[in-house]
Amino acid sequence: MSDCLKEKVGEVLLPGDVFSLERKPEKVICGPGLRRNGDEILVCKSGIFRHKHPNMYWIDSQQKRYVPAKGESVIGIVTAKSGDVFKVDVGGSELASLSYLAFEGATKRNRPNVKVGDLVYAQFIIANKDMEPELVCMDSCGRANGMGVFGLGGLLMKVSLGLVRRLLVPQSALVKELEKVFPFEMVVGLNGRVWVKAQSTQHMLVLGNLLEGCENMTAQQRHAVFRRVADSTP
Amino acid sequence: MAAGFKTAEPLEYHRSFLKENCRPDGRELGEFRTTTLNIGSISTADGSALVKIGNSTVICGIKGELATPPTDAPNNGYIVPNVDLPPLCSSKFRPGPPGEQAQAASQFIADVFESSEVILKEELCIEKEKVCWVLYCDIMCLDYDGNLLDACLIALLAALRNVQLPEVSINKETDLAEVNPDRKRHLNVARHPISSSFAVFDDSIVIVDPTAEEEALSTAMMTVVTDEDDTLCMLHKPGGTSLSSEKLQDCINRAVTRNREVGKLINTVIQSVKTHKPLMFSLYKVMKTKMEEPSGGSSVKGVKGDTA
Amino acid sequence: MRQRNCDFVGTTMEVDGQSTLSLREFGCEQNLLSRPDGSSSFVQGDTSVLAGVYGPAEVKVSKEIYDRATLEVVIQPKVGLPDCIKILQTGSLVMQCQHLPQDGSKMLKMGSPIWNMDSRVKERAREQCVRETCEAALLSTLHPRSSLSLVLQVVHDDGSLLSCCLNAACMALMDTGLPMGCLFCGVTCAIDPEGHIVTDPTAQQEKNSRAVMTFAIDSAQRRVMMSSTKGSFSVNELQQCIAVSQRASEKFFQFYRDSVRRRYSKTL
Repeated sequence: MSDCLKEKVGEVLLPGDVFSLERKPEKVICGPGLRRNGDEILVCKSGIFRHKHPNMYWIDSQQKRYVPAKGESVIGIVTAKSGDVFKVDVGGSELASLSYLAFEGATKRNRPNVKVGDLVYAQFIIANKDMEPELVCMDSCGRANGMGVFGLGGLLMKVSLGLVRRLLVPQSALVKELEKVFPFEMVVGLNGRVWVKAQSTQHMLVLGNLLEGCENMTAQQRHAVFRRVADSTP
Repeated sequence: MAAGFKTAEPLEYHRSFLKENCRPDGRELGEFRTTTLNIGSISTADGSALVKIGNSTVICGIKGELATPPTDAPNNGYIVPNVDLPPLCSSKFRPGPPGEQAQAASQFIADVFESSEVILKEELCIEKEKVCWVLYCDIMCLDYDGNLLDACLIALLAALRNVQLPEVSINKETDLAEVNPDRKRHLNVARHPISSSFAVFDDSIVIVDPTAEEEALSTAMMTVVTDEDDTLCMLHKPGGTSLSSEKLQDCINRAVTRNREVGKLINTVIQSVKTHKPLMFSLYKVMKTKMEEPSGGSSVKGVKGDTA
Repeated sequence: MRQRNCDFVGTTMEVDGQSTLSLREFGCEQNLLSRPDGSSSFVQGDTSVLAGVYGPAEVKVSKEIYDRATLEVVIQPKVGLPDCIKILQTGSLVMQCQHLPQDGSKMLKMGSPIWNMDSRVKERAREQCVRETCEAALLSTLHPRSSLSLVLQVVHDDGSLLSCCLNAACMALMDTGLPMGCLFCGVTCAIDPEGHIVTDPTAQQEKNSRAVMTFAIDSAQRRVMMSSTKGSFSVNELQQCIAVSQRASEKFFQFYRDSVRRRYSKTL
C-alpha cells in the first residue's frame, strides 16, 4: 500500500487524485492536503506530494491564506482588549484569543504589558474548525521560551506560507545564504509573517525585498542576487 | 418519536424513507403531487391562471399594453416575465428587492421563452415600427412548498392560452392606435414547453417534484423542459453533485410523460371554460364562477414513474 | 519577480470518428494577483476571464452558516456598472433606476419598454451556476462559519463565456489551496443549423447556432455537474453533446495538471 504512495513522492498532485488502500492496511499519517475516506486517501489541495519516514505524507502547497493549526507558532497583531482576553489577528478566518494569564509569570495582580497594536509571538493551544482559536505565550512548563510581546524596532512583512516553511527547515540553505549577506535577527511565524531586525532600516528593507524575491527564484538565480546585494550594500 | 427524529436529523429521516423507495408524504420517488389548474382567476388581467402542485401555489396574470417596437427588431413585440416571491409565501423570503431565487426563476422563464418560442414575437407586432403588444407576465407565488419552476411554467402557459387581446387598428388620418374592445382574439401559442423538476439525494437517488423540505436537503436540483414533440427546450442544472448520462436519460423520459399529463390537464381546463360560457364575454363571467367554486378546475395526478 | 507560467494549448480532436471537433487555443495563469488569496486568468480563444478568491475569511453574521463556509460569487461584466445603476432611455423619458432587475418591469410600465431581461439578471443566473458548481466541488464543511468569495471579471467575451468562467474559477480555487473533493471544468457545445456539434464556439458561432449548451464536468467520474442550455434540441443531440464534453474535459484536466506542474517546477 505504502508503495503506491511512495511512488508518487515528489510529484505534483491535484485535488481529486485518489490513492486506494485495498491491500494490507498499514498505518499512514495524513498531513495537510490529504484526507482519509474509507479505504482511500483523497488529495484535496494542489501541490507537491511529500513523505517523511516512516509513514507521514502531506501535500506541500503554495497557499497564501493561513488556517490555524494546533501547536503552530505564529506572529499576531493585538487588535482589541476585551475583559480578560486580547483579540489577536493572525491572518486566519477569525480573530484568535489570548488570555492575559497566558504569559510567563503573569498573575491576576501582575498583568503583562500588552497594548493594542503590539506584535506577539505565540503558539496555538486550541485550533480546530469548530472553536475559536486560542493562543498562549508560554510552553507547557510555564516558560516564555522565546514567545511574548515584540520589542521596539524591526519590520514585519507578509510572505507566502510555502516560503515560511522553507525558512523553517532545519539547516535551511536559504537562511544560511541570507546570513552571509549581513547580520540580522529574524522571527518566522507559520502564518506567513516574518519579522526582521537589522542594524539599519535600509538593511531591513533590502531583506524584505530579498525574501519576497526568492519566492520564485531557482537556487542559481538566488545565489547571483544575494552576491550582488552583499557586494553593493555597505 | 418520529417528529423528534424529523426535527433532529431531517436528512436521516428522509434517507430512511428513500431507502424503502418512498417519501415522507407517501409518494413514490417518481410521483408528482396532485396538480390543480384554474384559469381566468383574475378579472382585471387579460389572461390568468392559478396552479397548485401539492401545497405550492402560484398565480400568473398577464396584462397586455401597447408600446413602440424595439428599434433593433422593429417587427417584434415584447414578453416580460417576472417572478415574485413575496414574504407571504414562505419565511425563507424577506421583504424588499427580489432575492436570488426570484431572479433566477425570472431568468429561467425568459430563457424557456427564448429557447422554445412559445409565442412568436412577430405576432405581437401590430404595425411595423409603430405599435406592438407588450405582455407583462407577472407570476406570484402564494404558497411556497418546493418545485417553483414547474408551477410557474404551467401557470404561465395556461394564462397565455387564456389571454384575449382586443383588436387594434391604426387610424390612417390621426396615426393613432384604435382599440376595438368588442373584438377579441386568443394568442397563437405555438409550442407547449412543460418542465419537470428533480432533486438529487446523496449523489444517486433522484426524486421528482421535491417539496421545499426536500429541496433544502438535496445535494442538487435539476429541471428538464420538453415540448409536446418531445424536443428538449432546456436542461437546467445549476450545479450541485454530478449525474451520469444514464440518470439524465431517465429524468428526460419522466419529463416526457409529465408533459403529456400536464398538456392534457391544460386542454381539459381550457375546454371546460369554452363550453361553460359564450366566448365573447367569457372573461368576467368565468372569473366569477371560478371564484365561487375553486374546485372548478380539473386536476390531474402524476402517473407513477420509474426515475429511481 | 512574480511567477509567470502561461501555458497555451491548441488542440484538435476526433469525436466518434465522424467529425473533427476543435477547441480554441486555451491558456491559464495562476497566482497573478497579489492581493487575493488565490487568483487565475483563463483564456479560451479571445474569451478571457480573470478570477480572484478571498478566504476563508471572516463572515457577516447574517450570512454565517453553522456547518459550512459561505460562498459568494460575483461576475463583473466587461461593460456596465456592477451594482446595476443603469440609465434607461425610454423615448423622451429618461429614468434612472437603482436595482433595476428587481422590478424593472414595474418601473418601465411608465414609459415604453425597452427592457427585455436586463443583463444583470443574466449575470445572476450565471453566478448561481458557478456558485453551486463550486459548492459541490469544495469541501466547505472543513471551514464552517467562514466566508469564501470568488470574483470573476470578464475581460473579453467571445463566446463560451460560462465555461471560461468555470475554468477560471476552478484554477483560482485550486490556487487558493481550499480543500476540494474533485476538480471541474466547463465545456460549451453549439449545434449549428445543419446539426453539427461545435465545441468551444465563438460568439459568432453561438449566434448562428440552433442550440448552445454548457456543461460542467467533474474530474472524479466525468459526470455532469452543471448544465445550462439555450435553444431546443433532441435527446440524442443532448447525449452526443455530453459525450463530446466529456471527451473535451480530458484535455482540460490534463491541461490543469500540466499548468500546476509547471507552477511548482521551481520548488520541486
